Amino acid sequence: MAEAVSPTTSKKPETPRIGVFICHCGTNIAGSIDIDAVKEYAKTLPNVAYVDDYKYQCSMPGQVNIREQIDANKLTGVVVAACTPRLHEPTFRAASKDGGLNPFRFEMANIREQNSWVHMHDREGATEKAKDAVRIAVAKAALLEDLYPKSVPVERAAMVVGAGVAGMQAALDLANAGIKTYLIEKEPSIGGRMSQLDKTFPTLDCSQCILTPKMVDVGRAENIVLMVNSEVEDVEGYIGNFDVTIRRKATGVLSPEEAEAKGIVGGGCTGCGDCGPVCPVTKPNEFEMNMAPRKAIYIYHPQVVPLLYTIDWDSCVKCGLCVEACGEKKAIDLEMQDELVQVKVGTVILATGYEVFPIENKEEWGYKRYDNVITSLEFERLICASGPTGGHLVRPSDGETPMRIGFVLCAGSRDNTGIGKPYCSRFCCMYSLKHAHQIIEKIPGAVPYIFYMDIRSFGKMYEEFYYRIQDEGAKFIRGRVSNIQEDPVTKNVTVYVEDTLLGRPMEIELDMVVLAAAVQPTELTNKTRKLFGVSCSQDGWLLEAHPKLNPCGTTTAGVFLAGACQGPKDIPDSVAQAEGAASAASIPIHKGEVELEPYYAMCIEEKCAGCGMCVNLCPYQALSLVEKDGRTVMQVTEAKCKGCGTCGGFCPGGAIWMNHFATPQIVAQIDAFLLGGEQ
Amino acid sequence: MATKNYPDPILNEKLRDRYYHRDQSNPEFTKEIEKIAGTMAHMCFQCGTCTAGCPSAPRSSYRIREFMRRAVLGLEDEALTDPDLWFCTTCYSCTDRCPRDLAPTDVIMAMRNLAARRDIVPVNFLKTVQAIYSSGHGVPNNDVNRAAREKLGMTRDPPTTSMYPEYIKGIQKILDHYGLKERADRIIKEREG
Amino acid sequence: MTEMREYAFFLGCIAPNRYPGAESASIITSRRLGIELLPLNGASCCPAPGAFGSIDLNIWYAMAARNLVLAEQMERDIALICNGCYKSIYEVNHKLKHNDELRDGVNEVLKEIDMEFKGSIDVWHLAELLYDENIVGVEKIRESVKVPLTGTKIAVHYGCHLMKPKKERHMGSTEAPRWIEELVEALGAEAVEYRNKMQCCGAGGGVRGYDLPHSLDITNEKLQNMIEVGADAVTEVCPFCQLQFDRGQIEIEEKFGIKYDMPVFHYNELLGLAQGMSPSELGLDLHAISTEPFLKKVL
Repeated sequence: MAEAVSPTTSKKPETPRIGVFICHCGTNIAGSIDIDAVKEYAKTLPNVAYVDDYKYQCSMPGQVNIREQIDANKLTGVVVAACTPRLHEPTFRAASKDGGLNPFRFEMANIREQNSWVHMHDREGATEKAKDAVRIAVAKAALLEDLYPKSVPVERAAMVVGAGVAGMQAALDLANAGIKTYLIEKEPSIGGRMSQLDKTFPTLDCSQCILTPKMVDVGRAENIVLMVNSEVEDVEGYIGNFDVTIRRKATGVLSPEEAEAKGIVGGGCTGCGDCGPVCPVTKPNEFEMNMAPRKAIYIYHPQVVPLLYTIDWDSCVKCGLCVEACGEKKAIDLEMQDELVQVKVGTVILATGYEVFPIENKEEWGYKRYDNVITSLEFERLICASGPTGGHLVRPSDGETPMRIGFVLCAGSRDNTGIGKPYCSRFCCMYSLKHAHQIIEKIPGAVPYIFYMDIRSFGKMYEEFYYRIQDEGAKFIRGRVSNIQEDPVTKNVTVYVEDTLLGRPMEIELDMVVLAAAVQPTELTNKTRKLFGVSCSQDGWLLEAHPKLNPCGTTTAGVFLAGACQGPKDIPDSVAQAEGAASAASIPIHKGEVELEPYYAMCIEEKCAGCGMCVNLCPYQALSLVEKDGRTVMQVTEAKCKGCGTCGGFCPGGAIWMNHFATPQIVAQIDAFLLGGEQ
Repeated sequence: MATKNYPDPILNEKLRDRYYHRDQSNPEFTKEIEKIAGTMAHMCFQCGTCTAGCPSAPRSSYRIREFMRRAVLGLEDEALTDPDLWFCTTCYSCTDRCPRDLAPTDVIMAMRNLAARRDIVPVNFLKTVQAIYSSGHGVPNNDVNRAAREKLGMTRDPPTTSMYPEYIKGIQKILDHYGLKERADRIIKEREG
Repeated sequence: MTEMREYAFFLGCIAPNRYPGAESASIITSRRLGIELLPLNGASCCPAPGAFGSIDLNIWYAMAARNLVLAEQMERDIALICNGCYKSIYEVNHKLKHNDELRDGVNEVLKEIDMEFKGSIDVWHLAELLYDENIVGVEKIRESVKVPLTGTKIAVHYGCHLMKPKKERHMGSTEAPRWIEELVEALGAEAVEYRNKMQCCGAGGGVRGYDLPHSLDITNEKLQNMIEVGADAVTEVCPFCQLQFDRGQIEIEEKFGIKYDMPVFHYNELLGLAQGMSPSELGLDLHAISTEPFLKKVL
C-alpha cells in the first residue's frame, strides 16, 4: 500500500472520527433502499463515530444536525449519503464548515442518481449497493485533509466570439456594465444571420431596422474593441486570466485609424465605394446567398459595420485598379498580411451561431437539382427590399412571379436517417408562417401551401400569429413531403405529400418550393470550442453546464454560451440568453477575484527524479521543470492545473500528489470496495 | 360497447360500434412485427412520407401509413384482414425516405407473413409456390421459348433445374420442411374448388 | 485481351424462359469485356422475393441459400441480371453472413439436402460490374462499341431492388442516380431524364399477379412520363421490369385501350446491339413490342 504522505501536512495523523448522515430524500431514496439497514451497517464500519438519518438532509434542520454532531462527537470527517455531489456538495461543505471542519473534510456518497433511481425494483440489491457506497466514502473521508482554495485576480476585460445578434447583445451589455469587451467576428461585418433576414416573427418588424441601431451602437461603444475578419487562433490560461491569440485576417484595406498609425494623414477607408466599380473581378455575394454579384473588393451591403471594404484574396488578381481609384486615401494595401493579436480577458462568451444544413443531401426534394426549389434563407433575400431583386419574389428559373408557393417544414430536421438532423430546428415553423404572410401581402392572389408535421408555435404571441396566418389564407397540409418532381418543360415543381388528416395522397403542382432547412453549428464552432475546452452534445451544439439551472455556463469556468451555438434559437431566445451570459460573465469580473478549487497537483520533491515526462503530458501546460537545491524537480503552476490527474497517474516515481484525489485516498476507496470493509 | 345484437342485421351493421376499445390492441402483434421486420415500427410518428411517395396509394385505398399506425396500436385483425395489405409493390421508396429511419416495406412483409399464418394469402402467391415446387421456376420454360432458345444457338433448356431436374428434389425437401406445398394446395383448393 | 474474371451466372426465371436474348446477350457482351459468365447448374427461381417473402421470410431465406450454396461449391461469386434475383440472392447472402441465428436456422434446413451455407462468396448485379472501372468501366464499354446508338433517346428505368433500400445496398443515390445513364451514353445514345424516374414499374411485391390493372396503371404512368420527354426506348436491368413494360404494353392496350409501341430493352441487349450483334442474335423478335422503329434509327 502506498505510504506517501501529503506534502502539505506535516502534523502527525489524528485518529479519524467520521460522522455518517443518510438522507431519505423523501421517498426518492427511502422508497427503494432500506435506510435502517444501511444505518446499522454504517455503525460497524471502522472510524465511524456517529451515524444518523434524516428525511431531507439538505433542509435546514438536516444541516444544523450535521453542524451540531461535528461538535458533539469531535468529528474529523463527514459523509452524507444522498444525491449527486453536483447538487448538494456545496450545501454540505458549507454545513461542515459551520461545524468547524475544513469543508474539504466532507465526502458524498451518491445513493440516489446512481442507486435508488436506477434500482427502483431491486430493494435488496439497492440496499447492498448503498452499503458499499457508504463504506467507500467513509474510507476516503478518514484520509481527507484540510485544503484551502486559492484566489486569483480576474482580468477586467471580456471576450465575445461571434457578432450576430447574440454576440452583439452580450458585448453591449458587458460594455455598458463598464467592462472592456473584445468582440471577435469572422465575417467582414457584424450582424450575423439576423442581418440577412427580411422581417421577424411574430411582430413583422423589419429585421435590419431593429438590428442596425444595435450594430451602430456596437460600432460606437467605447468599451467594445471590434475585430472583424478575425478568428480565435489559440487560447491559454483559465478563468480570470485567459490569454487569447486572435488572427486578424488581412483585408487589404486600412481603417482610418490604421492609416493614421501608418502616418497616412486623413487616409484610410471611408466606405466611399470608389474601388468596387473599377474592380474587374465579379463573384457571387455570400450575404445574398450567392444570388447577387460582388467584386473582389467589396462590402456585403450598405449597412455593414464597420464600413470598410474587404479584399477577397481568392479572387483578387492584384491588378491595382482599386488602389488607383482609392487615390490619396491610400486605404488599399495589396500586400497586407494576417496579424496575430494577443489579448488577456477574464471571461469569454461564445456566440458562434448556426448555419444552414446542406439540404441538397436530402436528395428527394431536389435542392440544387431543380431551379425552383430554394431554401428559406434564399427566400429571405428574395423577399427583402434591399435584396438582389429589390424585394420582388421571383422564380430562379425564369424570373416570373410565383403564385403558388410551397413551404416544406422539417426539411432535414426531426430526421433520424443519419442524413438530416434528429432535433427540431425550432424556428422554422414560425418563419415559414411569416413567409406565408409575406407572399400573401406582397403578391395579390398568391397562395402559400405549408406542409407540416406539427406547427410548433411555442413563444409569446406565436400561436396567435399562427391563427392570423391561417386566417389570411395560407393552406396548411398536415403531411411531410416525400419527394418533389420538376416538370422538364415549365420547371414547375410538383410536391408529393399525404394529407394525413384526410388519408389522401396529394400531387400539388407549384411554381416554387421553399425548404425550411435544418440548421447546424457553424463549421468554425467545433474548432473554437476545442480551443476553449468546451464540450458539445452529440448533435454538435455546444454543451451548457446544466440544461435547466445553468444554461449559459459551460463546464469550463469562465466560458459562457449565448445564442444558437448552444442549440437552435430564435431572436428573442438568443438575445435573452446573451443577456444572461453577459450577466454571468460579468460576475467574476466585478468580484475581481475567483476562488480556484484546491484540486491541483503537487510535487513531492524528494521523490521527483526530474524526468520531465509529466511536463509534456499535461494538457494545460501547468507543469515545468525547475532547479531547486541543485537538482531538477517538477513545479506546478497551481492556477493552471485543473486537477485532471494525468501527471499523477503517470509519474513512475509516485512523486505527484493529487490534492483531494491522492493515491492513498483512492487506494483506500478501492480497498474498501474490494475487501468489503475488512481492510 | 360490444356488439349491439339488434334484431335487424342491416341496422346492426349500420350502427356498428366505431369506437376504438383498448381490447382491440394486441401489443404482441407490434412486437411480432418488429421481430420479423427488424424495424422499430412503434416509432412511427405518422408524417405520411411513406404514403406520399407510394406508387400504389394514388390508385387504391392502400395507405401504408395506416398500416404503420395499426402496427403501433397493435390492431392485428384490422391489419391482417385488409385486402389492401397486398398492394405493396415492395419498391422500398418509403423505406428510403422515412425520416424516422423505419422500414415500412418490411412491416408490410411481416404483416403478410402473419396473415399467411392465418391462411390469408392471395392465390397468385401460392401458385408461384406450386410452380417452383414442380419445376424449380416461378416462371417455367415452355416449348415456344425452347424453340426460340434453339434459334439463338442456346440450349433448349437453361442450365437450371430445367436442364437438371435432379435438383428439384432438394427444393421440394426445403418446401416440405415447412409444409408449404401442402398448405398452398389446400388453400387453393378451398378457394377455387 | 485482359484476364477473364469468372462468375457463376445466376439466371433466375424470366430471362432464360421469356427473354432468352437477354441471357445470351449478357454472356456474349460480357465475354468481350473480360467477364466470363459460367453456368450455375441446378439453380432455381431466386425465389421471387414478393411471392415467397410475403408468405414466409424463412422459406425465402432457405430457398435463396440453396442457390448461394451452388455457387459456393463452384467457388465463384454470383453475377446476375435481374433486380428481383438481386434482392433475393444478394440480400439473403448478406443477411446470412451477418446474422448467426438466421444462418444456423437456414443450415438446419439445408442439412436435409446435404448442403451448408458458408458465406464464402459475394453477389453482384452484372450492371454494377459493368460500371465498376476496376472490373469493366464506362470507358471500356465505349471502346467496345461498333454500332453507336447515336441519335436515340433512351429512358432508363432503374427498378427498385437493385438500389433500394439504400441503406442495405451500396450504390449511392436512389433519388437521382446517373450511373446507368452513363452506361447508356457510353453506347452513343442520349439518356433522357423524365418525371419520377425512380418510380417502380408496378410489377413487384406480387401485385402483378394480385391485381393486374393496378400494376399496369403504375406502368402506364411511367410510360407517359417517358413519352413526355420523347424517349425512343426504355432500358432496364431487370427482366421482370422488362416483362412489365414490354408485355405490359399489350395488356395496357387490352385493358385501357392505350397503345404505345415503346420498345423495351434489357441493358445487355442494347449493349449487344452497340457491339454489333444482330437483332435476331439478340432475339429481339421475341419482344412483345416491336423494336423495329428503334432499330431503324441506329442500323
